[in-house]
Order: sequence, then C-alpha cells, then structure tokens
Amino acid sequence: MEKVKQFIDNILKKVVIFLMAAIVLTIVWQVVSRYIFNSPSEFTDELSRYLLIWVGILGAAYVTGARGHIAIDFFVQKFFPKRVKQNEYFIQSSILLFAISVLIIGGARLVYITLSLGQISSSLQIPLGFVYLVLPLGGIIIAFYSIYHMSQLNKKAI
Amino acid sequence: METISIIILVVSFIFLLLRGVPVAYSIGVSAILTLLTTVDPIAAFTTIAQRMATGLDSFSLLAIPMFVLAGQIMNKGGIAFRLIEFAKLLVGWVPGGLFFVNIFSNMLFGSISGSAIASVSAIGGFMGPLMKKEGYDEKLSASTNITSSVTGLLIPPSNVLIVYSLASGGVSIGALFMAGYIPGILLGLGLMLVSTYYSKKLNYPVIKGTTFKNALSTTVKAVPSLSLLVVIIGGIVSGIFTATEASGIAVVYALILTLIYKELKVNEIPQILLDATKTTAIVVLLVGASMGMSWVMSYLDIPQTVAESLLSFSDSKVVILLLITFILLFVGTFMDITPAVLIFTPIFLPVVTALGVDPIHFGIILILNLSIGLVTPPVGTVLFVGASIAEIKIENLFKSMLPYYLAMIIVLLIITFSEKLVLFIPKFFGM
Repeated sequence: MEKVKQFIDNILKKVVIFLMAAIVLTIVWQVVSRYIFNSPSEFTDELSRYLLIWVGILGAAYVTGARGHIAIDFFVQKFFPKRVKQNEYFIQSSILLFAISVLIIGGARLVYITLSLGQISSSLQIPLGFVYLVLPLGGIIIAFYSIYHMSQLNKKAI
Repeated sequence: METISIIILVVSFIFLLLRGVPVAYSIGVSAILTLLTTVDPIAAFTTIAQRMATGLDSFSLLAIPMFVLAGQIMNKGGIAFRLIEFAKLLVGWVPGGLFFVNIFSNMLFGSISGSAIASVSAIGGFMGPLMKKEGYDEKLSASTNITSSVTGLLIPPSNVLIVYSLASGGVSIGALFMAGYIPGILLGLGLMLVSTYYSKKLNYPVIKGTTFKNALSTTVKAVPSLSLLVVIIGGIVSGIFTATEASGIAVVYALILTLIYKELKVNEIPQILLDATKTTAIVVLLVGASMGMSWVMSYLDIPQTVAESLLSFSDSKVVILLLITFILLFVGTFMDITPAVLIFTPIFLPVVTALGVDPIHFGIILILNLSIGLVTPPVGTVLFVGASIAEIKIENLFKSMLPYYLAMIIVLLIITFSEKLVLFIPKFFGM
C-alpha cells in the first residue's frame, strides 16, 4: 500500500503542476490575444475554467493525501489528548464518506446524466461529462488516501 | 420537519469541526446528512456534486490561484527586500521608525501579493533580524509584523475579497477592491499609532538620514515592484482587463522580476507551481463544498429564518451590525477566514441588505472582522506563521498584542458605522 501511495502521489504531483502551468499560459494567452493581437481568443475562458476544476479537485485529493486541509485540531488535542488516535479514525471515515457519496456516486451520476443528455461546452465543443469526470476520479483517489491513513493507524497499534 | 433539518445541519457541522475533520469535509458531510432528511440518498449526492461542479465553474475564481502563485513567486525575496528599503526611506525617520517600516512594508507587500501569510513570512523574515539588531523588543516586533500583515487582505488585490464576491453571488470585484483602500490604510495608521506609543515609551532610535543619491537609487529599485500594483489596479478599475486577467499578468510580471533579480532559478518553478496548487486546492474544495452547503441552506430557507429571528430581536441597523460583528469576531477566533466568508456571507448578507447596508460595505466589514480572527488564538494562521518566523511562543505574545487588538477593533467599529468612508473611492470611480 505504501508503494501504491507513493506512485499515486508522484503522478498526481506531476499532473497538477502541468495543469497549473497550463492555466497560467491560457490566461496569459487570453490577455495577449485580446490586447496585443486584437483578436480575442474564444476558447481560453472556457479552457481555463475547466482546467481549474481539474486542478482544484485533483489538488484537493493530493492535499488530502498529505493531510494538508485546514482543520481545527486544537480541541481534541487539548481536551481529549488520549483519544487523538481513535479520533483519527473518525476523521478519515468522514472523509471517506464524503468521497464515496458525493464525489464517486454523485459525481458518476452527474457524468452519466450530462453525457446522456449530450451537453456540449459552448466554445470547445467537448462533452461536459468529461469535465465532470474529475469528481469521481478525485473521489476514488481521496477514498484510497483515507483508507491508507486508516491502515497506517492499525500498523502503529501492532 | 424543517426545524429538524436545521438542527441536524448546525449540530453535525459543529460536531465534525470540533472532532478535527477538515473544514471542507465537515461542510460537505453535514450538507449531505441534512439533505438526507428530506430527499432520497442518490438524489442528494448528485445534487451536492452538481452544485460543487457548477460552483467551481467560474472565471472569477481563477484569479485566486493566479494571485496565490504571484504571491509565492514574490515570497522568494527580491521584491520584499526592495519594498522594505523603500519603506525605510519614506517612514524610517520617525521615532521607532522600524515599526513604521514594518507596517508600511506589509501594506505594500500584502497588497501586491494579496496574501497575509506570504506577507507575514516574507516581510517578517527580513524585518525580524533587522529590528533585533537595532535593539527592538522581539515580542513587540513580532506583534507589529503579525497584526500589520492583515492590512493586505483589505488593500487590493485581495483573494478573500474575491471569495466574498463569489459567496455573495456577484458583488463587483473591482468595487470591492476600491472599497478596501481606505479601511486598509486606516488599519495601518491605527497600528502605527500603537507602535508610536511603544516607541515613545521605550525611547527607540530614529534611523539616520541618507544621502539624496541613495534615496534616489532606493526609489528607482522599488519602482518595478510598485508599478505591478499600478498595472493591476489601474487595469481593473479602468475596465481594461478583468481581475482574473490582471492576476495572470501579475504572475508573469512577478516571474520576470524575480528571474531578473536572480532570486529564482528556473528549476524551482515546478515546486512553486505545486505549492500554489496546494493552497488553491484547499480553497477550491472549500468553495465547492460551500456551494453545496449554501444550496442546502437556501433549500431549507435558513438565511430567511436567520434574518427573521435576527430582525425580530431588533430592527435597528446599529444593533444588528453590532450583533453580527460580535458573532463574527467569535467565529473568527477558531475558523479560518476563507471558510468563514463562504459560510457566513449567504447567511448574514440578506439580513443586512434588508436593513439597507450596502453589500460592498458589508464585504469590507466581514473581511476586517475575520482578519482579526487570523491574528488571535486559539486558531489564527497568520499568528502561527508570524510567531514561528520570530521563534516566539504564542503564549508569550499575548501581552504585546493586546494594544494592537484594541486598535484593530476600534478601526473595525469606525469602518462598520461609516459607510460613506468605505464607499468613497468606489463611488468616486462611479462603481
């Protein structure tokens, strides 16, 4: 499991760096094409928005793996210092619950609905379902990370 | 039925938060639990997923990762150092001048980088050792640096103002930016007043005068950094480009400057992109989850219920604003500014607009209010970062922070009750 995690970390890292660089270039291109070449680019607005959804959800998955999301941890540490580990199970299962219900089930259904309705983006002409595909994808990665973190807790106990 | 849903929402949210579940996930899970009481599970999951996806599909939201990225690049040094030298020239001659230099540098850098954390670490990293060398009290220096770093949240460009614009359903980012100037400067002046009191009491030295030649070269060196502000703000206000396009320009501009200053190597760029992605992703997940939550809240008529109960308590604008200020100050002490803006804007904005408060004005009140929470214990990210840069324990800072807290609250009250002052600049530009 350790190796799988490192593998996913690595790929995710490279993908988000690439997507982030792509966003910068897209926005810069929008400015350049509009003010310097005087011919506003049609696709940049849409492309940068879709890239942000991808970078945001995949980045959120990466941060979940690194346990970097903002949380209020002082309360448990201060008042229930002995329960910190037990509480960690609760935290990770809450994350797992969200990943499975909203991102995987809800997201997959959203992808299915938009694909079957044939919704197409206005300027890039790509099916919107592909844009939303990042929700179930991110959900699967987040679910993996939370299971991984729980398994690490088990190990430490033995 | 509705009362039960509301209770589930509030109780589950607070419970998850206190157990240490990341704020974004707490928001998401309590939204699902609440929705499950009224609709079937699959529909609930899909609705939340859809709200997340459509909520994130926003061109304004894109300005946030770009300003974060620009801030990360500027954090590499170069720009911060040149701004400090410039600030020294302008305000270094007063007694205890380095306090003024610190506050003024934070106002400049915080405004350019749009992030209080970037500011508290970049400026604090330079100013801390400098003040120590000149014999300034370390706790006072750290307190000055920490409190003044939040001025950049009000002085544009500012990421939290963009978050507010999103949460409020489209208050103009340009107008919010313009409205931030006077309160941000007023806050800086308030903090300077406190530092003057300290310097007088402790007899701190004045920085020696410099030659005209030095002054000129310092100014010239600061010009490229300062012109970034002129380009961004000028561009947004005059309508030449949107906030997002301006943020893209800020990234390229900062990148070129730091490469010229040789503070950044090309092979460091991927790491900077990754760091910026992490900060962005935290905000994106919060925004997404909050979009789900705010939909659930309006589905349950929560903003209306809150409005009715607050208004039944009193229909005086002053009383309601004071009450909201009090609640937000409390919320700010344990919740970070971005989630707090996302959660409380949809709840309180309808109440205050019903009483005739301008949404732009309320945005500024909200941000200043929650900024105070960033520098107060038990949870204050800016306080944590600032204290760790100065290598001082947070407990030991409290006493020297108190007068600064007082100044911040006084400025907050002034801002809250003088709408004309806040709206002066946006009105002047006809926004």
